[in-house]
Amino acid sequence: MALKQVSSNKCFEGFQKVFEHDSSELKCKMKFGIYLPPKAETGKCPVLYWLSGLTCTEQNFITKAGFQQAAAEHGLIVVAPDTSPRGCNIEGEDESWDFGTGAGFYVDATEDPWKTNYRMYSYIKDELPKLINANFPTDPERMSIFGHSMGGHGALILALKNPGKYKSVSAFAPICNPIQCQWGKKALGGYLGPDASKWEAYDATQLVKSYSGSRLDILIDQGKDDQFLSAGQLLPDNFIAACTEQKIPVVFRLQQASCFCSPCWGYDHSYFFIASFINDHIKHHAKYLNA
Amino acid sequence: FYHMDLYGSKERFDIFPEELSGRGDRSLGDMRSESALSSEKVQRPQEVCYDLEEEVAELAKMYGLDEDREKELELLGGHLEKVESRWPPARTEKAGSQGSLYNTSKSSSSVKHPSQSTKQQGLPDEAFLGENQSKARTDDEAESNIWSRGGLSSGGMSDEWNSQAVSEEEEEEEEETADVFCSTCKIPIRAFDKLFGEHKDHEVAQLPNAVESEKEEIHKNMCKLEEQIAQMENVASHLEEIFITVEENFGRQEQNFEVHYDDAVQVLAQKYEEQLEALGEEKRQKLEALYEQLVSCGKHLDTCKELTDETQELFLENDKAEFMKVKSFNYIIFFPYNYRLEEFLKKEVDLELSTLPDFEERVIDVSEVEQLMNSINAIPAPCAPVINPQAPNAATGTSLRVCWGLFSDDTVEYYQLCYKPVSNEMHSGEHAEQTLKVKETYCTITDLLPNTQYEFWVSALNASGISPPSERAVYVTAPSPPTIKNKKIRSCENAALVCWESRDMNPVDSYTVELSKLTEEENDDIITESIVGIPNCEVLIHLQPTQKYQVCVRAQNLGGSSERSEPVLIHTTGTCFYLNEDTAHPLLAILDDGFTISCDELENPECDLPVYDNSFTRCIAILGSLIPFPGKHYWEVEVEEDTEYRTGVAFENTPRHGYLGANNSSWCMRHIITPSRHKYEFLHSGMTPDIRITVPPRRIGILLDYENCRLSFFNADTAQHLHTFNSHFQHYVHPCFALETPGILRIHTGITTPPWTAL
Repeated sequence: MALKQVSSNKCFEGFQKVFEHDSSELKCKMKFGIYLPPKAETGKCPVLYWLSGLTCTEQNFITKAGFQQAAAEHGLIVVAPDTSPRGCNIEGEDESWDFGTGAGFYVDATEDPWKTNYRMYSYIKDELPKLINANFPTDPERMSIFGHSMGGHGALILALKNPGKYKSVSAFAPICNPIQCQWGKKALGGYLGPDASKWEAYDATQLVKSYSGSRLDILIDQGKDDQFLSAGQLLPDNFIAACTEQKIPVVFRLQQASCFCSPCWGYDHSYFFIASFINDHIKHHAKYLNA
Repeated sequence: FYHMDLYGSKERFDIFPEELSGRGDRSLGDMRSESALSSEKVQRPQEVCYDLEEEVAELAKMYGLDEDREKELELLGGHLEKVESRWPPARTEKAGSQGSLYNTSKSSSSVKHPSQSTKQQGLPDEAFLGENQSKARTDDEAESNIWSRGGLSSGGMSDEWNSQAVSEEEEEEEEETADVFCSTCKIPIRAFDKLFGEHKDHEVAQLPNAVESEKEEIHKNMCKLEEQIAQMENVASHLEEIFITVEENFGRQEQNFEVHYDDAVQVLAQKYEEQLEALGEEKRQKLEALYEQLVSCGKHLDTCKELTDETQELFLENDKAEFMKVKSFNYIIFFPYNYRLEEFLKKEVDLELSTLPDFEERVIDVSEVEQLMNSINAIPAPCAPVINPQAPNAATGTSLRVCWGLFSDDTVEYYQLCYKPVSNEMHSGEHAEQTLKVKETYCTITDLLPNTQYEFWVSALNASGISPPSERAVYVTAPSPPTIKNKKIRSCENAALVCWESRDMNPVDSYTVELSKLTEEENDDIITESIVGIPNCEVLIHLQPTQKYQVCVRAQNLGGSSERSEPVLIHTTGTCFYLNEDTAHPLLAILDDGFTISCDELENPECDLPVYDNSFTRCIAILGSLIPFPGKHYWEVEVEEDTEYRTGVAFENTPRHGYLGANNSSWCMRHIITPSRHKYEFLHSGMTPDIRITVPPRRIGILLDYENCRLSFFNADTAQHLHTFNSHFQHYVHPCFALETPGILRIHTGITTPPWTAL
């Protein structure tokens, strides 16, 4: 469980650091970014886990999202892990951008050759929090999760599968119904095998239908001009319909620039979109984490 | 030597006051005794100097005085005459500044010396001797300043190197030290003397005790004297005052006498003139009458003479017949003669005096003078009193206290106070004038009308008459207590807007709001704050959150303040507003609780529904009246799931013919039901973000936060944040509510802002 500091930069009175460690769950070296707010120097802080999307490393979020100011303000430790095991020398892991390296999909793989290393679900759920709580001034009782795209999917399923574990959950353009979309079918099929019924355990829309845990307040932002929305990869409507059905409170915001100009451009799937609304999400989590 | 001396002198200077305070420090005592000794030595050098020679030499060595030693020794050993002649120049040159320093300390010490020598315990008997000598020395000082200075400075020096010797001496002579005080002889003596000497039978006391008691005595006497001085000063100033008063009073009386005696003299002079005139007249009349009588007498005499002559003529007729004839003839012819005679004879001669020579008795009327004379000592009629202007805050709603005074020291039996209400109308005579008899120089008039002006004037009366009336003074009664408009109170956590109406016809000067914070304890009536000088019937009061306040209003005018209004209670738990009925669309009804709005039918019959100028005409809406306070305001709206509504905030002047949220003067959340789902819009200027809400809120929490420029909507049941408008509100806004389908909206106010709204 030894941590190796890869980098450390002062940021908004706190520190943005990157550590490397040997993951027992993933059987490889893993990096994660962690932002320590100034408040962490004097007391325990809640932890907010960020799950990035396809192709991302721990770097994308910490360099592009611009979350540090809000995190510093609200006294949140923000942990941004990598998106998959790396360098496991599994055949085909680097073949495509939407499967294998950079596309762990936050599931515990059951199929060979992935099942040894591709255990991102357990890594995020257990190993990483344990590691973080052991090495940083955290309050283990207060943690929340959010993510983008595939990470949004990860955040939703982790929250829905572990009622009460996370105080709050939010997502940017999440893959809401992976069993229904190309990305999901490919990844879930690859990691879990062809039996689609097994996939449902990692499908937010399906999980909502049977959710009966503690109350969740889900905030979802979706760019209106997100090419993957129109490509049917994200399918938020299915998730919203299920939540409406189940009376799970969701605020889903289809974001476009609120201007009078025409044509009115909406937000896309990029980190520019994330950066635009990251403050709302940090606030959303801070509301529950600091309550 | 120089330094030592300077040091010594300084030290002495420093410790001097302490010594005076009676610190019986032994070494200090020695130092003091030196001064006595030194002077002693100056006068009897032979005796001491020989004894001291050795010690002096030692000391001189110690102090490095070798240079001076010989000289000093010579001086000490030499003759007094020499010392006298040689020291002043020699020492003054050398000692210079410290000489003067010494001089000051010495001279003062020498003056104090007698008391010190008695005070100090364990003083060597030389000191006692020195007492006399120091007296002598003060004489010396008086005689020759130069000598005393020189001598003292040198004495001071010699002290330094004599001190040691003296202290040694003292040790030897310790048993001879005066240690008791003979109360009979009033001198300190040695205990030895008490036992065997002349003080054998005398009463003695321990010296320090004796000193203490003496000091106490002196202090007491001092106090007494001081008291007496103060007393005498008081008496003197009092006497001065009396002196002035006497002068004034007598001056006034003199004037009074002068005036009155002048009057009396004048009256007397007038009387005298009148009397003289009357007397003259009488005299003239009498003389005239007498003269007339005299004239008539003369005439009578003439007639008499004439008749006598005629008769005589007749008498002289010889012929009797002739005589008779003549006589008869005469009688016939000279009938007039006969007739005259007869008549004359018949006529009685009035010999009575027509008038008396003496003058008539006259009653001289001196009553007026008498009165004047009497009035010299009697009181004059008073001058007009001076009525005071109204003292502030002395009036109540129904009573006034009027005060006046006399300009002079007139004696007054009573005053006559008149008043009537001031009226702007022409026929002010209608108002009856009231008159009161008052003994004092003040009067409280009751049963008046509130907030009304009354005119007062006063006259003073005594036995001698009534004074002219004073100037007229206008007093005004305090106003009636105002009435707080209970239903129009608006409040939030940090402030309240209270308005009221005056119960008086006439305007008042200002209002005072009194607020008391109600605590759990009993002392509810403690006024925690008063806001004075409020010109309008409305005030914004800053309050503390989550407290209970009782608020009262008083009206204020020159006369004073009214009674308190009926109090109102304000809870600063959350924002409270009321619905402004004037803005309500005709189809919108407010139920009895004042916070439930309903709409039964959407079709506007367009008939005889009253439409106010200020009411919404298209949107079935109503505005609330929110406190204009730039803090946070939170309220909730309870809605039915199938009710279509708009709710949010709007500027007071938001267009009444438009829909809420359709313009840039309103911000609102709109709920509509589409065939597929509940649709929520967050409208401003007709624009809404695309937001999907999975759980329709039943209770909408609305947070208006002026400080952070935001308006947020929440699902109050789940604390879910729905949407936030970030807007810098240019003006204060008011809550707005509209129904788009038949149904009701329940508005809840006074709710503490939930913590989850903070982010």
